[in-house]
Amino acid sequence: MNRRKLSNTFMTLLLWSSITTMVILLLSIIAFIFVNGVQALSWEFITEPPRENMTRGGISTPLIGTLQLVVVSMLFALPVGIATGLYLSEYSKKNKFTFLIRLAIRSLAGVPSVVFGLFGLSLFVILLGFGSSLLSAGLTLGCLALPLIVTASEQAFQAVPKDFREASYALGATKWQTIRKVVFPAASSTIITGAILSIGRVAGETAPIIFTGAAYFTPNVAQSLFDEVMALPYHIMVLATEGTDITLTRPIQYGTVLVLLALVLGMSAVGVMMRARLRQRGQ
Amino acid sequence: MDKESVSMNRPQLIVSDLNLYYGDYKVLKNINMEIYGKTVTALIGPSGCGKSSFLRCLNRMNDFIAEARIEGQIYLDNTNIYSGDTDVIALRRRVGMVFQKPNPFPMSIYDNVAYGPRIHGVKNRDHLDEIVEQSLRGAALWAEVKDKLKTSGLGLSGGQQQRLCIARAIATEPDVLLMDEPTSALDPMATARIEELVRTLKERYTVIIVTHNMQQAARISDYTAFFLTGDLVEYGKTPKLFTSPEDKRTEDYITGRFG
Amino acid sequence: MDQINTRRQLETDLTELIRMLTRLGKMSEESLTRSVWALKNQNAAVAREIINRDDAIDDLAAELDMACMQFTARFQPLGEDLRAVSSIMHMAVDLERVGDYATNIAKAAIEVADKELMKPLIDIPRMVDILSEMLEKTLEALESKNEATAIRVFPLDDLIDDLEKQIMRELLLLMMERPQRIEQATLLLNVARTLERAGDHITNIAERVIYIITGKTVKASTYRRPKER
Repeated sequence: MNRRKLSNTFMTLLLWSSITTMVILLLSIIAFIFVNGVQALSWEFITEPPRENMTRGGISTPLIGTLQLVVVSMLFALPVGIATGLYLSEYSKKNKFTFLIRLAIRSLAGVPSVVFGLFGLSLFVILLGFGSSLLSAGLTLGCLALPLIVTASEQAFQAVPKDFREASYALGATKWQTIRKVVFPAASSTIITGAILSIGRVAGETAPIIFTGAAYFTPNVAQSLFDEVMALPYHIMVLATEGTDITLTRPIQYGTVLVLLALVLGMSAVGVMMRARLRQRGQ
Repeated sequence: MDKESVSMNRPQLIVSDLNLYYGDYKVLKNINMEIYGKTVTALIGPSGCGKSSFLRCLNRMNDFIAEARIEGQIYLDNTNIYSGDTDVIALRRRVGMVFQKPNPFPMSIYDNVAYGPRIHGVKNRDHLDEIVEQSLRGAALWAEVKDKLKTSGLGLSGGQQQRLCIARAIATEPDVLLMDEPTSALDPMATARIEELVRTLKERYTVIIVTHNMQQAARISDYTAFFLTGDLVEYGKTPKLFTSPEDKRTEDYITGRFG
Repeated sequence: MDQINTRRQLETDLTELIRMLTRLGKMSEESLTRSVWALKNQNAAVAREIINRDDAIDDLAAELDMACMQFTARFQPLGEDLRAVSSIMHMAVDLERVGDYATNIAKAAIEVADKELMKPLIDIPRMVDILSEMLEKTLEALESKNEATAIRVFPLDDLIDDLEKQIMRELLLLMMERPQRIEQATLLLNVARTLERAGDHITNIAERVIYIITGKTVKASTYRRPKER
């Protein structure tokens, strides 16, 4: 075998082994959680609230809490994020100011989530006086999701071919008519995909909600925006660290992780599949 | 083509001392020409000569280029389209455009054709149905798509897509139809169909077509204008321009001495 | 670059067409000149040669026609190229006719070869000399794309017409003096008329050459003596 073939084979083996390692790692995590958590799964698990200091019962309260948080955060992040993306793509001029804005948004996406948590604490909880609540936590999560949605929207709008806009203008449409009737519909699937991916992200965050609205235990599901909420990721942390009886709560803990994982992975999978289908259709 | 009837058409567009700048660069130099109604006028010339830029002046699509600046006037039926109080939206309704690469919207065939009328306020369903059918007939596409009006425009072949774009453009009932190299992305069969269509279109619209294919210009146009680095070198009746042009530069271009 | 190569190929092919036309022109000219020589020198053998040569002229004209068609199909010419190939096709027809006229004169030569000529032929040879010059000038103008050279052909056709009239007067007088020579006189008159027609055809060719060069259709009469009413 000559040198070229040898190095080719070597590289192929190397890459294969990296992939295999990754897959094994991922599968082990999932398997570990699955094995430990599946015994806790049942219909009651999902529909019953936690009882007796989390040693019994289910996770309905944190589950609903997570859903509430997602809704609040998206109600804030989606309109603001999409509008910003629209502005950046369609209305902004190419100058230093917009360059800085884009830089800021891209950088925000990399900020550690605990920083968002502290920010939310200062702004929503203390300064604006919302207190520790669904509202504060939801808004904080919204801020976390905002850079993702702005970037996804902006890229979605940019991806709409210039041809469509030209054709629309040539027919006598105004800029807003063109955006409303051509650009937005064409970008919508990509935006939805971005939204789904950011939902997955938001649902799994712990640090932003610790200081802003997540509670160790609430007897009921949050009835108003100013109530505190339980949330899945926080619940996991609680069970793992402050649980009263670790042996009893462990199955519940793993079950919760399994549910959260399923939720997050599920949303990501849906998002990625949608994106793949869109790319294929766009060809 | 009856020689007498062509010259009797009144001028519909009068271009007067037109200069176009992109920043400091002068793209069009002192263009003067009269384009006659219900004729086909071809604009020919090598790449970069300004013919497409000139076309885009006629429906003010150059307004979208930030560095573009115009001097001079263009009169459409005796009104200067570059005057301060021109309604550009209304102008683009009267002067339609078809582009080089077919660009139907990612919507149904029906919605594509109805797009123009809809944005100008037509809401009545029956009226829209009628406009869609007339326009598709006018673009020689009706027979092929009448049973699938709700399917996506992107599902058509290249030539059909371009005819869809033509239908979309004539749905606003323009007076003038601008075509920017409409067949350069199509195969010979589709090209032939579009050329045939252009011959019928001139009965109702004034057609101005940019083409880099001289044989095409010779085939379908009544008048031809030859542009070279921003100058209008020669403008005249097509048969004469292609057999014995006045200007040597025209002669050199049409005989292929430079591209 | 594709365009430049096509242009070069076009020019090569066009040059070949012109070369074929020039060859055709020379063949026709030669036949015409020699036919008059055969007539003057009463040489039937040469005359028969000329008649046989006509096939070669016709074949070349047909070949040239086909080559022009193929050129047109291949290059879809415009402008000067289009004028050139279209005119070449017409000029070939004119030259072929000149070749036919040479055949007719050769036939007349055979007729008088074994008889006594009623007068020594002077003006007829002079006509064919001028025709020869006209044809040479025309072909030269085509080759060198020189409009002025082509224009000089037109006044020469006046000389041809003058000579023809002169021959006619002379022969009419002779016919009246000696009625038994009417047959030969008529034959010679026909020869003169044939040469005059050849002159018209060559004038047509010169007009076409000017059309190729300038794109303008000129009438030869512009450059000739005004016609007497």
